[in-house]
Amino acid sequence: MLKTLLDAFALISTWEVIIAMFAASVYGLVIGSLPGLSATMATALLVPVTFYLSPIAAIATIVAASSMAIFSGDIPGALLRIPGTPASAAYADEAYAMTRKGQAELALGAGVWFSAVGGIAGVLSLMILAPPLAEIALSFSTFEYFWLALLGLMCATLVARSSPVKAIAGMFIGLLVSCIGIENPGGIPRFTFGITDLFGGIEPIPALVGVFAVAQVMRAMLTPEPPPLPRRKFGSIMAGQWKLTKLYHWQMTRGNIVGIIIGVLPGAGADMAAWVSYAMSKRFSKEKEKFGTGHVEGLVEAGASNNASIASGWVPSLLFGIPGDTIAAIAIGVLYMKGLNPGPTLFTEKASSMYAIYLMFIIANILMIPLGIAMIRVAAYILLAPRSTVMPIIMLCCAVGSFAIGNNMFGVVTVAAFGVIGYVMEANGYPVAAMVLGIVMGTMVEQAFVTSLIKSDGSILPFFERPVAAILAAMAIGALLWPVMVWVWRKVKPAQTVAATTR
Amino acid sequence: MRLPDSVTGSFLVVLGAAAAYGGYILPPVPGQPVGPNVFPLVIGTGLALCGLAIVFGIGHSFEEEEELVPFEDGQAAAPPPQGKLQGKLYGLRALLPPALLLFYVFAADRLGFIITAAIMVYVTSTALGAKWKLALPLAALSPFAIHLIFGKLLRVPLPAGLLPTPW
Repeated sequence: MLKTLLDAFALISTWEVIIAMFAASVYGLVIGSLPGLSATMATALLVPVTFYLSPIAAIATIVAASSMAIFSGDIPGALLRIPGTPASAAYADEAYAMTRKGQAELALGAGVWFSAVGGIAGVLSLMILAPPLAEIALSFSTFEYFWLALLGLMCATLVARSSPVKAIAGMFIGLLVSCIGIENPGGIPRFTFGITDLFGGIEPIPALVGVFAVAQVMRAMLTPEPPPLPRRKFGSIMAGQWKLTKLYHWQMTRGNIVGIIIGVLPGAGADMAAWVSYAMSKRFSKEKEKFGTGHVEGLVEAGASNNASIASGWVPSLLFGIPGDTIAAIAIGVLYMKGLNPGPTLFTEKASSMYAIYLMFIIANILMIPLGIAMIRVAAYILLAPRSTVMPIIMLCCAVGSFAIGNNMFGVVTVAAFGVIGYVMEANGYPVAAMVLGIVMGTMVEQAFVTSLIKSDGSILPFFERPVAAILAAMAIGALLWPVMVWVWRKVKPAQTVAATTR
Repeated sequence: MRLPDSVTGSFLVVLGAAAAYGGYILPPVPGQPVGPNVFPLVIGTGLALCGLAIVFGIGHSFEEEEELVPFEDGQAAAPPPQGKLQGKLYGLRALLPPALLLFYVFAADRLGFIITAAIMVYVTSTALGAKWKLALPLAALSPFAIHLIFGKLLRVPLPAGLLPTPW
């Protein structure tokens, strides 16, 4: 234990890791603070860079950039009422109301402080939850993996803020994309239409860059430019935060726990955590009437929640290769490329790498406080950069980055195609996160499914025979039927109320 | 690009049916009951069923109407650039980014990275409303910066084309 910890320290205390982490932090802060550029996009654009780094430095960049970007989205939310990332959307109104009341420092300080606390709580959950779960996961057979993957996919469709049917359709589209290529149980070209470039299948990373970055540039083409940030002088940012911590320690803890749970659920990430926690804070507050008028309580809880979900999203990713959110989906791609294939054995064979990941999360969240304060002070200058200078650079990075992944032009075609697919899906209410999950998990689902079928000789029964498999199966089927039950309940309830009023 | 549910749903039905059929005609692996054809069959059927459900509007009640955040006084939203002059063609501007990426695919090898990238940056920047005074220097400088990072530091083999970089 102590030796692994020392090994982990040795792994992260190289110049490469330190510089990578610092640079990625600044990058994450800047991208996160620019409205329209999300944390997922920041991470996706980092991937080509990670190819050229050592495994630990590569993960360090992702950890640092994603944590920072989620916090930094609060800055334009509070100052402009335009959330920098979707994860800040839940409380942008509240934070802006505080700024109008002259409490911008308190709002932003709460953003920094409770983000850092939430992030550290998330890491603790990762440290505590992952090893025992890995023990259990070691005894999993393909049946369990199949149900687990299915459960993950179903969760993603349940939590989407859209029609569940459309979410499931999105998931199927993703799974269909993963069918392309020769990496299938028969090893024959499938859906390649004779195009040699398709033989290797669709790489998840260019698809993700397309869906999250190119689609965003496409949307920017049709939306008006956000207004420039008024310049202001800030007082002390951290003043009063300790008092808030003591006053709202229960809300903070609740936010952390909700964030951790939502982070662990596949497909639900920081934005969902913030919405749920903000709603919860309002629901259980003693001063409900103050919400919406610039009250810090909801900010504390939601800020603590969205950053907690970032770290806990790594739990299912590291254990099963099932991404906890879209950022973790990208991280899984990087883990595979760096030879750290997700799975329960990662915790025994590469324990020092795991400890290094924990440590990097902790360091990133501590680093967030000084860097975040600095960022708040210079935000006015960074937000001066008009969209017409940022977006072209993003376009170039998309083109060069996707080319760099396989050093062939087909990656660029993939990015362009998925930009269009992502844009059209988003515009029509199909959640892209569900599709992304389908693409990332497709091969795994198919492998588990087909191997199980071969083992069971075509019979369905063995899918339910092992106890853990049966439990997971019940949960997955329950998740599938849940929207149906809600729908039926909604149909029945109005009928009852109508009946009651007419009587 | 908001299409009626019946259109997207029908498209999914066709896509799902095609996938299922495509899976069905794949040759099986000799001596093995389940091969590469099973998964596409399942997925395709599922997708087609979802498409049908969407056509018939099942699950529509779950969709949240997009909340338009009302701007407060003194914060009025800027009018869309160039107004409604282009009319219907305005919506097609969204297709510019993927079109530019395809342009990159076809032109980069012949023109070289620097020239192609400069054209991409200039067009994107102007489309987003930048004046030439901003777009031109940006197009002249940013390709070199990107080349420095990706080509020099990360050693991505970017095509040199007509205009090799000085380093």
